[in-house]
Amino acid sequence: MSDQDPVIGIDLGTTNSVVATVRDGVPRVIPNRSGQHLTPSVVAVAKNGKSLVGALARRQAITNPENTVYAAKRLIGRRWGSKEVEDARRVLPYELVPGPEGNDVRVMLGGTPVSVAEISAQVLVELRADAEAWFGGPVTRAVITVPAYFNDGQRQATKDAGRIAGLEVMRIINEPTSAALAYGFGKKLEKKVVVFDLGGGTFDVSVLDIGQSVYDVVGVGGDTYLGGEDFDRRVMDWLTFNFAKENGGVDLRQDKMALQRLRDSAEKAKCQLSGTPTADIHLPFLAAGGDGKAAIHLTKQLTREKLEELTKDLIERCITVTEKTLKEAGVRTAQVDEVILVGGMTRMPRVQRAVREFFGREPCKGVHPDEVVALGAAIQAQALAAPPRPGSEVLLLDVTPQNLGIMVVGGYFQTVIPRNTTVPTNQTHLFTTVQDNQTSVRIAVLQGESEKATENELLGEFVLAGIRPARRGEVSIEITFDISADGIVGVSARDVATGQEQSINVTATSGLTEDELKRILDEHLDDLLEKKQSTVEVERSRARIASAVAEIEGLVPAVQAALERSRFGRDAIQKAEGVLARARQALDGRDTDELALVDEALERTLQLFKGLAAAPPPDEA
Amino acid sequence: MSGDRYQDHLFNPADLAEVVDLDLDRRKTILFAEAHLAEWTHWQVLGLTWNASVDEVRAAYIEQVKVFHPDRYPGKKLGTFRSRLERVFRRITEARDVLASSTARDEYVLATAPALERTRIEARRLEDERRAVERRGRLGRQNPLLARAERISELMKHGRALMAAGNFAQASNDFQLVSSLDPSHAEASALALEARRKGAAVRAAECVEKGHAAEALGSWQGALAAYRAALEIEPANPRTLILASRAAGEVGDAAAARDFAEQAVKAQPRNAAAHEALGLALESAGKRSDARKALERAVEIDPRLESAKERLKRLRWSFLG
Repeated sequence: MSDQDPVIGIDLGTTNSVVATVRDGVPRVIPNRSGQHLTPSVVAVAKNGKSLVGALARRQAITNPENTVYAAKRLIGRRWGSKEVEDARRVLPYELVPGPEGNDVRVMLGGTPVSVAEISAQVLVELRADAEAWFGGPVTRAVITVPAYFNDGQRQATKDAGRIAGLEVMRIINEPTSAALAYGFGKKLEKKVVVFDLGGGTFDVSVLDIGQSVYDVVGVGGDTYLGGEDFDRRVMDWLTFNFAKENGGVDLRQDKMALQRLRDSAEKAKCQLSGTPTADIHLPFLAAGGDGKAAIHLTKQLTREKLEELTKDLIERCITVTEKTLKEAGVRTAQVDEVILVGGMTRMPRVQRAVREFFGREPCKGVHPDEVVALGAAIQAQALAAPPRPGSEVLLLDVTPQNLGIMVVGGYFQTVIPRNTTVPTNQTHLFTTVQDNQTSVRIAVLQGESEKATENELLGEFVLAGIRPARRGEVSIEITFDISADGIVGVSARDVATGQEQSINVTATSGLTEDELKRILDEHLDDLLEKKQSTVEVERSRARIASAVAEIEGLVPAVQAALERSRFGRDAIQKAEGVLARARQALDGRDTDELALVDEALERTLQLFKGLAAAPPPDEA
Repeated sequence: MSGDRYQDHLFNPADLAEVVDLDLDRRKTILFAEAHLAEWTHWQVLGLTWNASVDEVRAAYIEQVKVFHPDRYPGKKLGTFRSRLERVFRRITEARDVLASSTARDEYVLATAPALERTRIEARRLEDERRAVERRGRLGRQNPLLARAERISELMKHGRALMAAGNFAQASNDFQLVSSLDPSHAEASALALEARRKGAAVRAAECVEKGHAAEALGSWQGALAAYRAALEIEPANPRTLILASRAAGEVGDAAAARDFAEQAVKAQPRNAAAHEALGLALESAGKRSDARKALERAVEIDPRLESAKERLKRLRWSFLG
């Protein structure tokens, strides 16, 4: 692949996704094929069996809640049985089942279990297609963003999603870092910056030192289960509670369609309240009356104060996390030069006020909270794809978001690489055997914040065998953790005395087994081949259509003359012009189906024109 | 570049000959840095002089990062130089982490200080300490309140040390002095009480010990005197009271024996030995019926008390007979 190939940055969000690129040194968002900058991260299988992604999928969610998957990001890379998944199962209208090995999550979609990575891949395929339509050529390389607080498993699953979507994922970068990159791009900054990123499903906060185009992350923190969805849920709960109270205990939670309508209007009301003091919620015919009574409507007014009261603790949680992160980074609020707000939820006035009060300064208003992350990803993609032009080089120095370590005797967690360590990095710790004549050790690699091993995420495990038999504590085992610039974790263990060594690359954690991933990739390989074929087809029909268009245009004067002499109406010319316009549009859009239709229409028009032009003038007849 | 810059380093020709998208000078810079990773100090790694400021450290780090971060060579063939770059990058990051840290830096500065600097730092530290002591002393002399606080803290420290050494009498003295200086000093009064109590217990134990010694010699008079002395210090110690009752009985002072035993029962109503002692004292005073009751009580509390059972049996028999 040449350096000239376009590269893209993708913000794969909980509710919405954005794709961007750098063109002529300027980062810009690529609109999707409907002209929107935001593509809903929603995937559905419609009643007729058709797969839908984005706005189309979102639009039919109300009538098809069981087969419409939203907020997949909250499930990606999570273990079956974890608290987050259990919480999600209670509130999501679509069904979740465990994977074949019982440790990951599958979504029932159209009657078949689908891995979360595949769901995300469908969104990525859509975004990729949008980018290809915009560039008019193939796009194969991308940088994808994840919340800074994502653990290795969640990152790996996101990377797998990229692979399934036929993208070479150049790097997974952190959303707040990405936002800072877009914020600082092209400016000569020497600043300490805090990024406060409250998105649809996750909350992230990062502290960065920006100097000479080097973006040095000094601390990250966050909560992967705190975002706009939780705010919506509070409003929904308030609505269902009041509805039950006012209508003699009608429980809307049993009705999936009603829930979906509630969710939509809750979100809408929440967004509206960022601009107005009150929002009206109208949901006619929300519940059946039962016993032949009339259907019940929901009419409710939500005030900004009420919303703030309902979500007070969520905002407080954000500030607590921010405080902790700053403290760990050794930064006082007075030292912060700029606070950047990212994510749609930061539009909420109460969130802005909380940030302002905490930092004692006005947060930066110069960035677009929905688009800035994708723009930063595009900048990083560009920087990784080709040598930068002088003056526009950027360099990200990111950190590990959580402690990495191993399980030691007593079920405790021993950190080897502490959080907030700059990557790439490697660190070595010495451990000893705990039993006499122990000849092998099992090494469980973990990531997390808890002192108890079981409360952390298990990344992988392996056994170091062939240890020299000796009294306990006499054998030294050297454990080395290595994180590459790509964020891939490698662990090796070595018996210092014998030199016996064993290592793993912690990769197979996305929940998909290697075989499954291969199968999915093979399936999508067929897709890719198909797409290549259709590219050839497009090229062929494009040539044919272009020549037809030229021919018709050449015939227009003759036809016009013929028409003036005939009893044919003028509308023949107008119709022909319509066909020509459609043909040009189809050529630009590279839409195969549309091209086929246009091809036919053009053919008919051409025949008609040829006939007309060739027809002898009536007076000569 | 000149040979100077690489200090006449001998490059491995095979390393230099690797076909990569890096110019010769860059290759030399990377190889040179990699060869010295282990031996260089954090200062040298970042190209700084000893004790450079944190700002200088950060600036130097950014300069080095621009050279040694693999991401600075996008789309270029790096071969083995990729891992070399990563190794150097890790090392400069480690150096930055230490030298820009608020905790580890000071220690490292001291550890890597040139000999002359180190003596100077040590001298300055001692001088600072001396001045601090002097300043406190001066303030103490000038300000009566501070002097008092100073004296209190000294006494408390001294008292605690004495207490730890087992010298309770002296410790109690110190704490009482503190209490007189500052009557609201709750800790001092509590400690004074504790020291007194512990001191008394020690002295009483000593007297009891003397009594045991006298018993062993057969001098019941001496033993009784020693137990009396112990009871002066700890009037309600049931163990001492029982011992005194027995000694009084042995010397024939039935009234005293009964008195001690009654006190013991009063101090610890559930002590079988106390009831037994009372029974014995009553028996020698001729009050057999009361003695029987006391002994019955003793056996009731502790059924395994063989000596009391034996005595009781004999009492019952003679009573019946």
